[in-house]
Amino acid sequence: MTGTTRLAPDTALQRLEELGRSSDPSNYIVDGIPPRLALELASPETVAEALALCAAAGLALVPWGGGGQMGLGNLPERYDVALDLRGLAAVVDYEPDDLTIGVQAGCTLARLAAILSEHGQMLPLDADDPERITIGGLVATGLGCPRRFGYGSLRDLIIGITVALPDGTLARGGGMVVKNVSGYDMMRLHFGALGSLGVIVRANFKLLPSPEAQRTLLVAFPSLEEAMEGALAVRGSQLAPTALVVLAPVTAERFIGMARWTLAARCEGPEGAVLRQAERLRETAASATSDARILEHEETLRFWSSLQGKLGATPLANVMRVRIGELPSQLGELAAQLVTEWGSALEDAVLDVGSGLAYVTVAGTVEELRGAWTRLAGYGRHATMLAAPGDVKAGYDVFGRHPEGVAVMRRLKETFDPERTLNPGRFIALL
Amino acid sequence: MDRAAIRTRLLEIVGPDGLLDDPDELLVYEYDASDEVFAGHHRPDFTVLPRTAEQVSAVVRLANEVGLPVIPRGAGTGLAGGALALRGGILIVLTRMNRILEVNERDGYAIVEPGVINLELSTALQPRGYFFAPDPASQRACTIGGNVGNNSGGPHCLKYGVTTNHILGLEVVLPDGERIWTGGPVPETPGVDLTGVLVGSEGTLGIVTKVMVRLTRLPEGVSVLLAAFPDIESASHATSAIIAAGVLPAALEMMDQLTIKAVEDAFHAGYPREAGAVLLVELDGLQEIVAENTGRVAELCRQHSAWEVRVARTKEERDLLWLGRKSAFGAMGRLAPNYYLVDTTVPRTKLPATMRRVEELSREYRLSIANVFHAGDGNLHPLVLFDRHRPGEVERVLECTTEILRYCVDVGGTLSGEHGIGFEKRDYMTLVFTTEDLCAMAGLKRSFDPRELFNPEKVLPTGFRCGEVALLRQQALAQRFGLEYV
Ligand SMILES: Cc1cc2nc3c(=O)[nH]c(=O)nc-3n(C[C@H](O)[C@H](O)[C@H](O)COP(=O)(O)OP(=O)(O)OC[C@H]3O[C@@H](n4cnc5c(N)ncnc54)[C@H](O)[C@@H]3O)c2cc1C
Repeated sequence: MTGTTRLAPDTALQRLEELGRSSDPSNYIVDGIPPRLALELASPETVAEALALCAAAGLALVPWGGGGQMGLGNLPERYDVALDLRGLAAVVDYEPDDLTIGVQAGCTLARLAAILSEHGQMLPLDADDPERITIGGLVATGLGCPRRFGYGSLRDLIIGITVALPDGTLARGGGMVVKNVSGYDMMRLHFGALGSLGVIVRANFKLLPSPEAQRTLLVAFPSLEEAMEGALAVRGSQLAPTALVVLAPVTAERFIGMARWTLAARCEGPEGAVLRQAERLRETAASATSDARILEHEETLRFWSSLQGKLGATPLANVMRVRIGELPSQLGELAAQLVTEWGSALEDAVLDVGSGLAYVTVAGTVEELRGAWTRLAGYGRHATMLAAPGDVKAGYDVFGRHPEGVAVMRRLKETFDPERTLNPGRFIALL
Repeated sequence: MDRAAIRTRLLEIVGPDGLLDDPDELLVYEYDASDEVFAGHHRPDFTVLPRTAEQVSAVVRLANEVGLPVIPRGAGTGLAGGALALRGGILIVLTRMNRILEVNERDGYAIVEPGVINLELSTALQPRGYFFAPDPASQRACTIGGNVGNNSGGPHCLKYGVTTNHILGLEVVLPDGERIWTGGPVPETPGVDLTGVLVGSEGTLGIVTKVMVRLTRLPEGVSVLLAAFPDIESASHATSAIIAAGVLPAALEMMDQLTIKAVEDAFHAGYPREAGAVLLVELDGLQEIVAENTGRVAELCRQHSAWEVRVARTKEERDLLWLGRKSAFGAMGRLAPNYYLVDTTVPRTKLPATMRRVEELSREYRLSIANVFHAGDGNLHPLVLFDRHRPGEVERVLECTTEILRYCVDVGGTLSGEHGIGFEKRDYMTLVFTTEDLCAMAGLKRSFDPRELFNPEKVLPTGFRCGEVALLRQQALAQRFGLEYV
């Protein structure tokens, strides 16, 4: 992290092209901006070399997985090189009986799930576009799904990491064991840091046995208040669903054809137990005025993966998606406020009552969306613009109000990325 | 500033009952639970017992001003020497900050001060139907702050995860004295996950002054099984089989013959004395699932040569089965005057081979080794028994434990599963990590504590030079790409 090799940008770009395969820059647009070079790399070592070259030449680099979560982030301050990591997709280390796996960052969720399911195992993640979402992208954005209520998030399951750093080194933390306190927690340093401190080239996880059966209990209520009451009753019970959400009527209509405030609780486990669990959940959540039904196994899988499409950071045109963190017991009030303020502009709203997160998608003109953000940014415990057109983002920090500790984050950035090579400007506080 | 002046300033901050600097009073603070034979004893210049976060912050500011090291300490039950004042300085003991400030079961969190005892927190939560999942065997004594410092584990971490999975946020005094909150009651706080970085950092990055913990709902059903096996190897195979079968017990603990005998002599927990090893398995969750899995686990144990499987039916029976496990360390005094506890983790399929290797080493070094450990996680705890007064024995113990660590690392394991690196294991770090890995960790440390005043001499090994590594790397790159190095 000391010493410098100064290099003309054009020379660096030439050398970079020697490291891998160049690809069409127009496929790597971030918030409307294309890079000068898009490069496909296939080994961790070449990624580290590419970083060192960029750092030496003052080039700005954006790591690229499937592009499925590229909506998240501030407008790039500079953008020279897109580093496509999909060629870095090997499963490096998989011993099914250990229930651990080490995969390279470019491995897609679809591929990983296919390999794991051969052994009856899983990572408890959902995605509406698993062919596109990569492991590196999931770790870098730190975006989770409602199953965190039952299983914890990927943050809880990550046990090891390798990152490439702008000084040209590859640094590991953690390992391949499920319990490990040897050295600093480099996994959580990079988890959710949007590749601003290093490019993730490999991650290790502990795995879970896939449940034998799944069901989802759906209960439609005449009002938001009643739906929240049902959801909080389930939360306080010992019935342990693996996910618990409340959908706004627009969203419920889109996914299950009932335009009412709807509670969805996911049950996973042995067949008999799951049926009984769904039944008991219904007894706890339902009221005299509600309608309940149960989604079968396959329907359950489809429902939650497509719902995830409303909780992610896929780049969006004409709409803005915001994630608001709020105490589960306060989510009802938050939702009521959203409905009052935005009414029909509310394209979707999902309350993750298990976790304490609300996801809202708002439609409007650029000006309307910018106005909406200035208010939404002040809601809840934290608020983040997950995706919106570049014009909406301009001049704002999409990560909303800054938490305490931004000064430490800035020092981390200065230590690990002194030339501001990695995703400059895109992370919180324009780091 | 001279000693007397520093003393006066400290007195102003913590008051007369908050400062210890008399050599007699300091004596207990020269040690923690790590073995003195190996870790030595180290006297801090001052010990302070603050009552508020403001006082902690003021002490840290003063330490900065005068350039003294700062060492946070909870109950001092740490086994890796993490709370030792290796370079003197100010030991900040947090045991007087021991209030539970808020419990919000509806939203699943509590806010506590760092000096709250682990068991007291779970006891306070129990009547409300919740618990704090990490349950180190030392839970009657250790503090939540210490648990955070070491990212501690315990039997129930197999299903529920270790401390880091249960910490939602922290109030922390940084090395410059600034006090900040990280994280929060709901997930995905934007920014770098400072909470995640701080948990397990062994007091080298900041001092925790408030902890926001996750509350876990008490399960509806619980069952505990005790299975007796002819030897460790068959019990290890049963462990692997249970994990591989997709059952996720709340806890899966193993004890070998030596431990069983010691425990029976001391506490009469009713374990089968003839067994070569026993597994203690706890299953919890929905009633239906517990019932089904209890049958499956019993069957898997029998398939792997268990000749007796007992299922506890009542809370009293369950507590009795756990008693033996929980008091195992305490019973070791019956076997030898001293023991050295090695904490390492291996991939779970490597358990049988690792246990064989431990037995071999026990013979090779003529040292008895008792085993009581978190088998389900692959987290071993060989207890190497010895008598410090017998000539040459201490050296043999060190060599033997080094060999155990080396083997575990060779089969893909690691140096410590839950006790931490501290001072004890820092020079083993190079067995697992390359210089490049360590330089990145040193970068993290430097970003928090550029003056290296926070718990110095811990976690990172001595004698590796990051500047040189980076230089060599740059030169190699320059050469590879035909560039001019400036
Ligand atoms: C008999 C026995 C059984 C044990 N069983 C287990 C077990 O099953 N699982 C397990 O994981 N461990 C176990 N331990 C180890 C030990 O109890 C744990 O590491 C415990 O969490 C330490 O807590 P403490 O309050 O004693 O911390 P201390 O020993 O005082 O400190 C531990 C570390 O944390 C740092 N620290 C303390 N307080 C703070 C704070 N407020 N802010 C920042 N840093 C801080 C210290 O500097 C030090 O590095 C056992 C120990 C004994 C003696």
